[in-house]
Amino acid sequence: MKRAAIRCSPFALGVSFCAMLLAGTVTAQPKATATAKPSASAALDPSKPIAITGGKLLTITRGAIENGVLVFENGRISAVGSASSVKVPANAQVIDVTGMTVYPGLIDSETHLGLTEIEADKMTNDLVEPSDEIMPNMHVSDAFHAETVLIPVTRYNGITNAIVAPDSRDTLPGQDSFIQLAGADATQMLLIRDIAMPLNFTGKQRRNESFATAQYPQTRMGMAAQMRQAFTDAQTYAQNWDEYNKKKAALKAGEAPPKTPVHDLKLEALLPYLEGKKPVVVKAEEPSDVETAYALAQEFKLRVILDGLTQSQSIYDKIAQWKVPVIVGPIYAAPKEWERYDAVYKMPGELAKRGVKIAFASFDAHQARNLPYAAGFAVAFGLPYDEAMKALTLYPAQIWGVDDQLGSLDVGKTANIVVANGDPLDVKTDVKRVFIQGREVPMVNRQTELRDRYSHP
Amino acid sequence: MTSRTAKAAGRLPLLGACAIAWAAGLAAQQPANFTSSHSGKNEFVIKNAVLLTATHGRIERGSVYVKDGKIVAFGANVSAPAAVRVIDAEGKYVTPGIIDPHSHMALDNDVNEATSPVVPQMMMKDAFDYNDKAIYRALAGGVTSALLLHGSADMIGGQAVVIKTKYGLDRDQMLFPDAPQSIKFASGENPKRVFGDRKQLPSTRMGNFEVMREAFTQAKDYQRQWEEYNEKVKRGDKSATMPKKDLKMEALLQVLQGKMLVQIHCYRADEFLTEIAIANEFGYKIRAFHHALEAYKVPQALAQNNIAIATFADWWGYKYEAWDAIPWNAVMSMRAGVKVAIKSDSDDFIRRLNQEAAKTMRYGGATEDEAMQMLTINPAWIIGVDNKTGSIDVGKDADLVLWDGYPLSSYGIPQKVWIDGDLYFDRALPGLGMPQFQEGQ
Repeated sequence: MKRAAIRCSPFALGVSFCAMLLAGTVTAQPKATATAKPSASAALDPSKPIAITGGKLLTITRGAIENGVLVFENGRISAVGSASSVKVPANAQVIDVTGMTVYPGLIDSETHLGLTEIEADKMTNDLVEPSDEIMPNMHVSDAFHAETVLIPVTRYNGITNAIVAPDSRDTLPGQDSFIQLAGADATQMLLIRDIAMPLNFTGKQRRNESFATAQYPQTRMGMAAQMRQAFTDAQTYAQNWDEYNKKKAALKAGEAPPKTPVHDLKLEALLPYLEGKKPVVVKAEEPSDVETAYALAQEFKLRVILDGLTQSQSIYDKIAQWKVPVIVGPIYAAPKEWERYDAVYKMPGELAKRGVKIAFASFDAHQARNLPYAAGFAVAFGLPYDEAMKALTLYPAQIWGVDDQLGSLDVGKTANIVVANGDPLDVKTDVKRVFIQGREVPMVNRQTELRDRYSHP
Repeated sequence: MTSRTAKAAGRLPLLGACAIAWAAGLAAQQPANFTSSHSGKNEFVIKNAVLLTATHGRIERGSVYVKDGKIVAFGANVSAPAAVRVIDAEGKYVTPGIIDPHSHMALDNDVNEATSPVVPQMMMKDAFDYNDKAIYRALAGGVTSALLLHGSADMIGGQAVVIKTKYGLDRDQMLFPDAPQSIKFASGENPKRVFGDRKQLPSTRMGNFEVMREAFTQAKDYQRQWEEYNEKVKRGDKSATMPKKDLKMEALLQVLQGKMLVQIHCYRADEFLTEIAIANEFGYKIRAFHHALEAYKVPQALAQNNIAIATFADWWGYKYEAWDAIPWNAVMSMRAGVKVAIKSDSDDFIRRLNQEAAKTMRYGGATEDEAMQMLTINPAWIIGVDNKTGSIDVGKDADLVLWDGYPLSSYGIPQKVWIDGDLYFDRALPGLGMPQFQEGQ
C-alpha cells in the first residue's frame, strides 16, 4: 500500500505545480551567484536527465563523495558517484554546484504542518479533537491544509518529507500522515495516510486542571485504564465480526441469518494497530510513563516507535534492550531541577551509543525549518556526525517504511535533493536549491516575498 | 510644613536611584558562601585563543589578561607578570559573555501584575527568584548578564532588573552594580487580549495607546502639583499642602525625566510609529523595541530616533502580529542603521543564543563581527551597561566565555564562563560543572 502511494505520485504533478515552478524561477533572485542559481533563466525539465556536478555528495549510505555526479530523471535518481565513475548523459541538463554540498531531502518525524497557521487564532488550528481522549478515528489527512504558508517556509531549509501528527493532548488523538512538502494539492502531498497512530502518555492528557473541572481520566491510572478498555473493546469488536462472518459464510438454506454487528469507526480504527500492521508512536517523557506506556503496548502486542524520552536518562539501557526505534526529543526540553544542563542535549548521543535507531523531529510547525540544527547541537553533545545525518534521512525512512524510496542518494530512490553552501547541520548554512521528486521547488515563500518587498537598494 | 519635609519631598523623584545605590552597596560585600576563587580578585592570562572581541574584530592567537575582575590587557601581544596563572585556550575561541536583553527567567509566575494596565511601580527585584536553575542553564550557555523584564500583559508593566548570572550567589550579589533602571512597556495583542477578555480597557490598540497617554498626562499633572507645592514652600507660603506621594506617578515621572530606559514590547510597524509619536508628545526617549518583528518595514524611523531592537532570529507565526516576521529582519534593520540585539524571551533560547545570532549570518549575511555584536555590545547598550561589559576591551568587566567549537555555529558550546574574572562554569567539572558546587551538589 505504501509503495503504491509513493509510486503513483511522481508523474502525477499537475499543471498548477508546473506553473508555480515557472513563476518561482522567473522571480528568482538576480543577486544569486552563477553557481547558486544557474537556472534563473529557464525551468528544468524533470522528464529529461538532470545532472548535478562538482559538489560534495553526502550519500548517507556510502559516505561522502567529493566532486560527485548525481543524475536523476523522471523523479528518480539514475546515477550517483564520483566524476570519474559516472558519465553525464549527453542530453542532461547540467547544474554545476562546485563548492556546494548535496544531500537527500531531510525528513521531520513529527510536525503539525498543515494543521495550523497562526497559533493564537483558533480558527486556523486543526490540531486535535479534545472532546474525548480516545480518538483513533481522527485522520490528520482530513484536515491537512496543503496550501499552508508554513510548508514553503519549511522546505526552504531542505526538509522535503514529514510526519504530520495531531497535538498530543489526547492519549489516542488520531492517525498520522506522511507527507511530501511539494505537490499540486493535498492528494499529491499526502504520500501515506494513516501511517501510524500516536499513543500519548506524558501526563498532559489528564483532564485534571482543577478538582472543580476534573473529568475522567483525571490520573495516569485513568488514562491507562481508558486505553486498555478501548483496545479490549476493539478486540471484542473484531471477534464479533469474525464470528458473524463465519456464521454468515456457513449459513445453510432456510436458516435465519446471524445478527449483523453495529459498525464502530473508533474501534475499527484501532484494528490495524492491534493486528500489528501499523506502528503506534508511544510518546512519554518520564521513566515511569515510558515503562507504563510500553507495557500497555506490549499487552496488546502493538508495534512500537518510542517518542520523546526527554527525562528518561535513567533507563536508556533498558530502552536499548527493547530494540525499538526512537524519535528523540525535543532535545531542548528543560532538564530536571537537579540535573546537569546538558542532560537532555546528550540524549541522542547516549541512545545512539547503545545501538538505538534514532530519528529527529521538530515537534513543531512554524519551527520545523530548524530541524537540522537540533541534530547539529546533538553532535556537539556527543552524537557522531554520520549518525546525526542518518537520523534526519535514512533512519526515519526506515522507521516509516519508505527507505526503498527515500533517505539516501542511491539509484532508484526518489530524487529529493538539497543543494546547500555547506554543512546541512550548521545554522549558518544557506540552502540554495531543493528538488522534490526530481522537480525544482522555487526558493520562494511568504517570508522571501516580504523580504523582497521591503528591500530597498 | 517644615523645610525638612519639603526637602524630603523634593528628593522623591530620586527614589529609584536610591534603591540602585542600596543594591550596589550590597553587591560590593564579600559573598558569604564563596571561597576565595570568587573574590573578584583573580589574576590570570588566557593565552593562545582566537578572540572574537565584538568591538575590535577577530584576533588570532590572542591573549586576555584579567586582574581584579577587569580586563587589563588583550591582543596578540600581552605582557603580564611571569607569576600570573596562564590558561591555555589551545586555539579555542574566547568571546565576551553573552548578554540577553529580554528574559523572564527567575520570575516564576510573577511577570505580570495584570490587574491594571499601568503598574510602573512594580519592581522586578521584589520577585526575582535568584535560586531559579534557569540562571544556571543560561550561564552554561555563555550568558553572563541579562535584563529580566515584566511580561507584556500591561501597557506599563514595571521596573526591570539587570543581573549577572552568578548562579549560587545571594540575590543582591547577582544584581548588576549601578545598572540603569529599565522600565517595560507593551502594546498590541497581549494587553488587548488580557484586558479585552475581561471587557476592560484596553481591548484595542486605540485603547492601548490612550491608556498610555492618560497615564503620562496624569504624571504631568502630578509633576505640576509637586512643582507648585515646592514653589510655595520655597516662597514660605504656609498654606501649601503637600500632595500625596504616589509611587506609580513617581515612576512615570522618572520616565518623563529621562531617568529610566524605556523598553517597549511591540511587533508591528504602525505600533513603532505610534510609540515614537507618543514618546515625542511626552518628551521621553525609547531605548529599544523588543520583538520588533516588523522593524524591517520601517527601519529608518527607528534609526533616526536612535532606537535599538531586541529581536528573535527566526521565531514567527505564533500570533497575528508575528505573521509578517521574517528571518532577515535583524540584518535588514541593521543595514538601515538600527542597533540590533538577538534576545531569548525564553528559558530555552537563552541557553543557545549564539546559534540564534549565527542565523543572521545566513539570513542576510551578517559578518562575524556583526553577529557577535548582536550578542554582546548591542544588548549591553540596550540595557545601558555597554561601558562595563559586552566586549573584550581594556577596563571592562572580565565577563568571558571560552568555547568548544566555533561559537557562531550549531556546534559552539561554552567550555568555561567567567564573570568579573571569577570562574562560574566549567564544563570539564563533574555534576553541574560549577566550581562552587563541587561538593554536595
